[in-house]
Amino acid sequence: MSETTAAPATADQHSSSGASITLTDVTKRYPGQRNPAVDAFNAEIAAGEIVMLVGPSGCGKTTTLKMINRLIEPTGGSIVIGGEDVTRINADQLRRRIGYVIQAGGLFPHMTVAANIGLVPGMLRWDKKRISARVDELLELVSLDAGQYRNRYPRELSGGQQQRVGVARALAADPPVLLMDEPFGAVDPITRQRLQDELLRIHEEVPKTIVFVTHDFDEAVKLGNRIAILKEGAHIAQFDSPDTILANPADEFVEDFVGHGSTLKQLTLTRVDEVELEPATTVTIGEDARDAAARAKTDGNTEVLVLDERRRPVRWEEVKDLERDGGSVPRGQGQVDVIGRRATLNDALDTMLTSSQGCAVVTGRGDEFLGLVSVESVMHAIQSARDTAREQNLGITGRTTMQADA
Amino acid sequence: MDFWQFMAQNQSKLTFLSWQHVWMVAQCVFVATIIAVFVAIVVYKSPAGASIANALSAIGLTIPSFALLGLLIAPLGLGVGPSVVAIGFYATLPIVRNAIVGLAGVDRNLIESAKGMGMGRLRTLVRVELPVAWPVILAGIRVATQLVMGIAAIAAFVGGPGLGGLIFEGLSQLGGVNAVNKALSGTILVVLLALVLDLVLMFVGRLTIPRGIRV
Amino acid sequence: MSTTVTAPPVDPDAIAAEVAQSRAGKWARLAIQQGLVVAVVVGWAVWRNGADFKAESVEGRSLAWGQILQLTGQHILLSVVTTVIVLVLAIPLGIVLTRRHTRRLAPLVVGVANIGQAAPAIGLIVLSALLFNIGFWPAVGAVSLYGLLPSLRNTIVGLEQVDQRLVEAGRGMGMSAPAVLFRVELPLAVPVIVAGARLALVLVVGTMALAGFVGAGGLGLLITTGIKLSRISVLISGALLVAALALIIDWIGRVVEEFARPKGI
Ligand SMILES: Nc1ncnc2c1ncn2[C@@H]1O[C@H](COP(=O)(O)OP(=O)(O)OP(=O)(O)O)[C@@H](O)[C@H]1O
Ligand SMILES: [Mg+2]
Repeated sequence: MSETTAAPATADQHSSSGASITLTDVTKRYPGQRNPAVDAFNAEIAAGEIVMLVGPSGCGKTTTLKMINRLIEPTGGSIVIGGEDVTRINADQLRRRIGYVIQAGGLFPHMTVAANIGLVPGMLRWDKKRISARVDELLELVSLDAGQYRNRYPRELSGGQQQRVGVARALAADPPVLLMDEPFGAVDPITRQRLQDELLRIHEEVPKTIVFVTHDFDEAVKLGNRIAILKEGAHIAQFDSPDTILANPADEFVEDFVGHGSTLKQLTLTRVDEVELEPATTVTIGEDARDAAARAKTDGNTEVLVLDERRRPVRWEEVKDLERDGGSVPRGQGQVDVIGRRATLNDALDTMLTSSQGCAVVTGRGDEFLGLVSVESVMHAIQSARDTAREQNLGITGRTTMQADA
Repeated sequence: MDFWQFMAQNQSKLTFLSWQHVWMVAQCVFVATIIAVFVAIVVYKSPAGASIANALSAIGLTIPSFALLGLLIAPLGLGVGPSVVAIGFYATLPIVRNAIVGLAGVDRNLIESAKGMGMGRLRTLVRVELPVAWPVILAGIRVATQLVMGIAAIAAFVGGPGLGGLIFEGLSQLGGVNAVNKALSGTILVVLLALVLDLVLMFVGRLTIPRGIRV
Repeated sequence: MSTTVTAPPVDPDAIAAEVAQSRAGKWARLAIQQGLVVAVVVGWAVWRNGADFKAESVEGRSLAWGQILQLTGQHILLSVVTTVIVLVLAIPLGIVLTRRHTRRLAPLVVGVANIGQAAPAIGLIVLSALLFNIGFWPAVGAVSLYGLLPSLRNTIVGLEQVDQRLVEAGRGMGMSAPAVLFRVELPLAVPVIVAGARLALVLVVGTMALAGFVGAGGLGLLITTGIKLSRISVLISGALLVAALALIIDWIGRVVEEFARPKGI
């Protein structure tokens, strides 16, 4: 039976990396509609790649995505995942090996976070201990404290936390493929940016093949290794890396979709970890305040970043306050908006504009402090991006520099 | 004779009748719940089916219970038979209505999530849809229980067991010493037991409705 | 207390659901119901016409056309008088209980009404007969009491359901409290109150089947006679006619509701 071929294989390895996906002439024709919703879609997706599907509403993104896990049965063509034709596998068995994340998480409200995450492993008959360990591991992976969140119910979580649990649940049985349909569509911009950073970090740790639907082009540029821009009927207008699409839009449709202001788009292409991070004067809670103030003075800073025991940013403190209060630095009150290493300069700029320090705090795994991005380094990056864009454009006849300057 | 004296003197009889009454109602509601949920599962996906079931449920509730009891005597004779069938019938109707509302009200996203993670039709129903709809179904069970406690009293006239017997005894002894006491004790006990059952069901709700979906 | 669909024994949910039901669904439902009733009544009438009972037999006396008409008339009279009493008490009381100063009492009354719902109608009717004698008025009194609580609750829920923002808007326009009540709240609560009145009427008609026990007549008398004297044909006639009457009244109520609905709601 199909079950034997389909089942554990992947589930039992410690951490599987991605599988390739090949879509050949995949077509979906809904009954009673003249034109197919998806018309002979072709794509070759490499293992571990993040492919973004973007396009106007109703162009067939969701339909394409759902055909991969057969939530929608294709009416034609073939879909092969990791060398296996999906139509030959029992649909339920197939879906247990493909993570699926939808908008607002789709978490089951009557189950705890742990039960939600443990569902698929449970169906795959993992033993209890293993499921429990897996739940903790995944919560850790999505930056939620297991002790605190395991036994909560979805409605006891914020929108962003729910979405994290949604991602953890999709990753539960360690599927080689992750399908995401506008997963971050329902959260506020700051949370969305954090979730994106996190997804990139998770992807570095567990390089799944991800197919991600969005209608936010910035999100596509930020997350995607490649972006497929779709027109009505899921016809591919352009399927390429973000750089190429930005530099050389295939046609007017793509140009319109990408929008003008490509220089700014370059900000979305450059990652925080590609620019040089600047150091900050830091002090760990409990250390001597006057020492820290002295160090800050030598560094020429007027503010000191307070970190907790695990080197997570807690708040900013002014040097003069440290000098006045003396003693050991308390935890105090405050909040620091941070960005991840794989955040874009665009994100960094957004964060800077809302902070009073004129710089963005960058954190890595476990929210550990890495360094600062300042306005100067962003300006510098813009400058060099412009320069390269000029050079490229000089080489290409017919294309003007208009966009670069827009 | 004074009412409390009457109660004290007939304690064992009253206890027995109370128990009979509650036990019959409990069994009927239990069976009704199973039937109702089954019916709801069959129809809730189709709007036409759901409308028809709802209409029939409303029409059924419009039929006076005494009339239905009368009709049931023809095929079933006097006794427990028509009582149990009538009580089961009236208990089923509100539960069907609520079960349909509850199942149809389950967020589409949840069902899609369940499907997307490889749950089959049955598993989705058992692990997602029914638990999420359960609070609404339970509310229906509570309505049904209150409703049939009173109907069970009428059923005594066709030979059914329970506290209704006391009321009819009182009626038949019109003018007798204990007529009022009998009818009064029967009536009060039905109300009290209905309250007790409602509290029990509320407690069942506390135990069976996970914190995540409690109102 | 909770007030959503998941709430405890509260029928207003059902009313609200019905009020919100689609037009087509409603008419289809009405058609089914009326088809059923007409089939039953016509079938029974044909049977009755064809049946040949001796004039002095139980069947002959109980099922004589004159007798049937008289019982039906009695039943309707009992029901209408009772319903009027119920509504005359319940609606003003419901309005009073939803005013600003008395609002806090409303949950209490709704709670008592929920308990009262469990009171066995037969118990109330028998008690009323034992305490006040048999006949028309004791039956009317007992069933009024039985119907009062659900109707009161429906009125309260209907009024509470009116969007408070509209009430505030009315207030904000400088309407006096009575003006807001008569020009905003009541018109908006009409569908729910009318549906509640229909439910009360149907409940009363059904419960009046028990009036036969206490010498107040009505179609239920056929059922009791049939059972006591083991006359299945009388018993079934009574049961069918009582059921048909309740369904017809319900049907009329629903049709009236459809036509009387204020425009724009
Ligand atoms: N179940 C269905 N039955 C019939 N037609 C459908 C169905 N689902 C989608 N369609 C149609 O197929 C086309 C593609 O829909 P799809 O949901 O894939 O769009 P999308 O790109 O995801 O849009 P959006 O950005 O709005 O989510 C649309 O024209 C839609 O109307
Ligand atoms: Mg979509």
